[in-house]
Amino acid sequence: MNPVLAADITLPHINYGAIAPILILLGMACVGVLAEAFLPRTLRYPVQVLVSLVAQVAGLATIIGLALSNYAKKPTLTAGDALAVDGPGLFLQGAVLVLGIVATLLIAERSVERGGAFVAQAAVTAGSEADAEQARRQPSQTEIFPLSLFALGGMMLFVSANDLLTMFVALEVFSLPLYLMCALARRRRLLSQEAAVKYFLLGAFSSAFFVYGIAMLYGFAGSVKFHDIAVAAISSGKSDLLMFIGLAMLAIGLLFKAAAVPFHVWTPDVYQGAPTPVTALMASCTKVAAFGGILRIFYVAFLDSRWDWRPVIGVIAVLTMVIGAILAVTQTDIKRLLAYSSIANAGYVLTGVLAMQKDGISSSLFYLVTYGFTVLAAFGLVTLVRDQDGEATHLSRWAGLGRKAPVLAGVFTFLMLSFAGIPLTSGFTGKFAVFSAALGGGQTTLVIFGVLSSVLLAFPYLRVVVLMYLQEPAADAPTVAVPGALTSAALAIGAIVTLLLGVWPSVLLDVANSAAQFVG
Amino acid sequence: MTPTYYLVLSAALFCVGAVGVLIRRNAIVVFMSVELMLNAGNLALVTFARINGSLDGQIMAFFVMVVAAAEVVVGLAIIMSIFRTRRSASVDDSNLLKY
Amino acid sequence: MSIAPYVPIAGLLVLGALFALFSCTIAPLVGPKRFNKAKLEAYECGIEPAPVPAGRFPIRFYLTAMLFIVFDIEIIFLYPWAVSFDMLGTFGFVEMLLFIVTVFIAYAYVWRRGGLDWD
Repeated sequence: MNPVLAADITLPHINYGAIAPILILLGMACVGVLAEAFLPRTLRYPVQVLVSLVAQVAGLATIIGLALSNYAKKPTLTAGDALAVDGPGLFLQGAVLVLGIVATLLIAERSVERGGAFVAQAAVTAGSEADAEQARRQPSQTEIFPLSLFALGGMMLFVSANDLLTMFVALEVFSLPLYLMCALARRRRLLSQEAAVKYFLLGAFSSAFFVYGIAMLYGFAGSVKFHDIAVAAISSGKSDLLMFIGLAMLAIGLLFKAAAVPFHVWTPDVYQGAPTPVTALMASCTKVAAFGGILRIFYVAFLDSRWDWRPVIGVIAVLTMVIGAILAVTQTDIKRLLAYSSIANAGYVLTGVLAMQKDGISSSLFYLVTYGFTVLAAFGLVTLVRDQDGEATHLSRWAGLGRKAPVLAGVFTFLMLSFAGIPLTSGFTGKFAVFSAALGGGQTTLVIFGVLSSVLLAFPYLRVVVLMYLQEPAADAPTVAVPGALTSAALAIGAIVTLLLGVWPSVLLDVANSAAQFVG
Repeated sequence: MTPTYYLVLSAALFCVGAVGVLIRRNAIVVFMSVELMLNAGNLALVTFARINGSLDGQIMAFFVMVVAAAEVVVGLAIIMSIFRTRRSASVDDSNLLKY
Repeated sequence: MSIAPYVPIAGLLVLGALFALFSCTIAPLVGPKRFNKAKLEAYECGIEPAPVPAGRFPIRFYLTAMLFIVFDIEIIFLYPWAVSFDMLGTFGFVEMLLFIVTVFIAYAYVWRRGGLDWD
């Protein structure tokens, strides 16, 4: 008989106040499911939009309340040390929600495409009579709202998870809804379903690595809490090999979600095939969540073994920046171009992470927010350029848009300049922050590659700008839809924040600086 | 009965699963291989629970099983929807998305 | 009881196996290879044999199976809780109630959306 079986159980203390934001999101997602089950069809859309936005705003308000009531300065562990409520955790939760609100505005839009961007009944076979009928008439299904709430709640859980098991469960809680959301496009449904299959199979593959990594680290440290792993890394009598196998496998799972080379192959396909509002959600919120997890694991559990793994992750960061930029140059589809740019941007964040000191954390946090807002606005604009087949995403179709739609082209040019890192945009301040943090951390090689990669990456961005202004529009050029109130709001928020953080970065950088202390 | 044998077995199962994911062409079989990898993880967790003399590993295996079941449901739903359009579950047929 | 009387039988088995193995391997190696269409066909008269498809299960089967799996596996958490109910007390009871409530929310959704209707 195993002696531990007879041991008495100490009940975990749960500080419900400190984890209230996560509970609000997941609880409201359940409310959304109930609304979906019991409300008549016509009422569902307004109720779901309301539930979704109220949940996120309430969650955000709670996070701000927690941050003001000193949780950032006096961090706590709760629920049997499974969750950490600390500065970076609260900052990342807030970032997920702020970006999530903007993405929800894009998801809820129903006037750009009549009935919304999502399929009415996903179970109807794509390409059949019934499918054409539902594409013409029926409004989008509203399950997308509870699904996105579950995804956002999972991301918030993920960035504050303080042991590997909680982290794994949170990883799946935010991934599973995203797999489904990818498959729900109203037009080009086969493309969308293919994207979902690819994302799902590769995502499940990477999470299997994550599980095996957990098992190895459990074997090494005898516990999956980050603090215990950090202690075991110094003093454990067991072979370090076990720890490095475990760390490598965890890193595969996390870098997959962050879309780092060589775990990036799914990104362009999924970003292209998924409905554009969902792509916007993935490019902004998932990136924040994935890097939140990476930061916590590297800075809390593996800080003391950094001399061993930093070169390896450094090589991955260089590959991510360089390959992302090179492949972006060759793209002919705007969504794929943005996908490769998001891969390269993952490399820039990784550069900030590898500084392995306090301003590494704060600059990464800052970069994630700036990039999130810009990419949300960019994908929001992509939804507006349309022809009779839906969105016109091929770059050649964008020729001459500067003359047909000066406002759209102007805003898009501004966003592209921000991606390229021109001063007075948030792209510049963000890159400046991560690169100077990396220099301070002694990662000069990474910074050289980072600067080279951003120079290279400026070329595809500027090519789009040249295309829009200096080329004649084709005879059958796509029309630019008039954005509804929700999309307009999302675009305005994205563009204004991009400008604001470009001219006045200290407003957010100070918050990030005061938040940059993990509890461990 | 040294627990090491179970670790070797779990590593072997994990490799079988990984190779299966990489070389098989049917989405369902690929997915089964992923499940094999997850269960290899479970076996490793339970074995380490035995070696470490704590129950945590067994509890974790429960969680992994439940998550895997949820993954099965989501995955089968996605694969079924594409199968109904294409009449095929081969991952080689999924070739619309490139460049 | 002696094992000796059985030795010849074992020997015969081994010999038989060896002979079978030998014939099967040597025949394709040394025999002449001249194929034509008639030779490749099955040695049968009447209609051409073709595999009969087993028929596909109706799509509803998958839905039912998936719902079964996901609700079935939730029970896994009830077992450890039931075993140590005494030690977990009110706290465990309330947490488990919350867990069951979330499962019922999913159940309500499935039921209202017709996931449980057989036809």
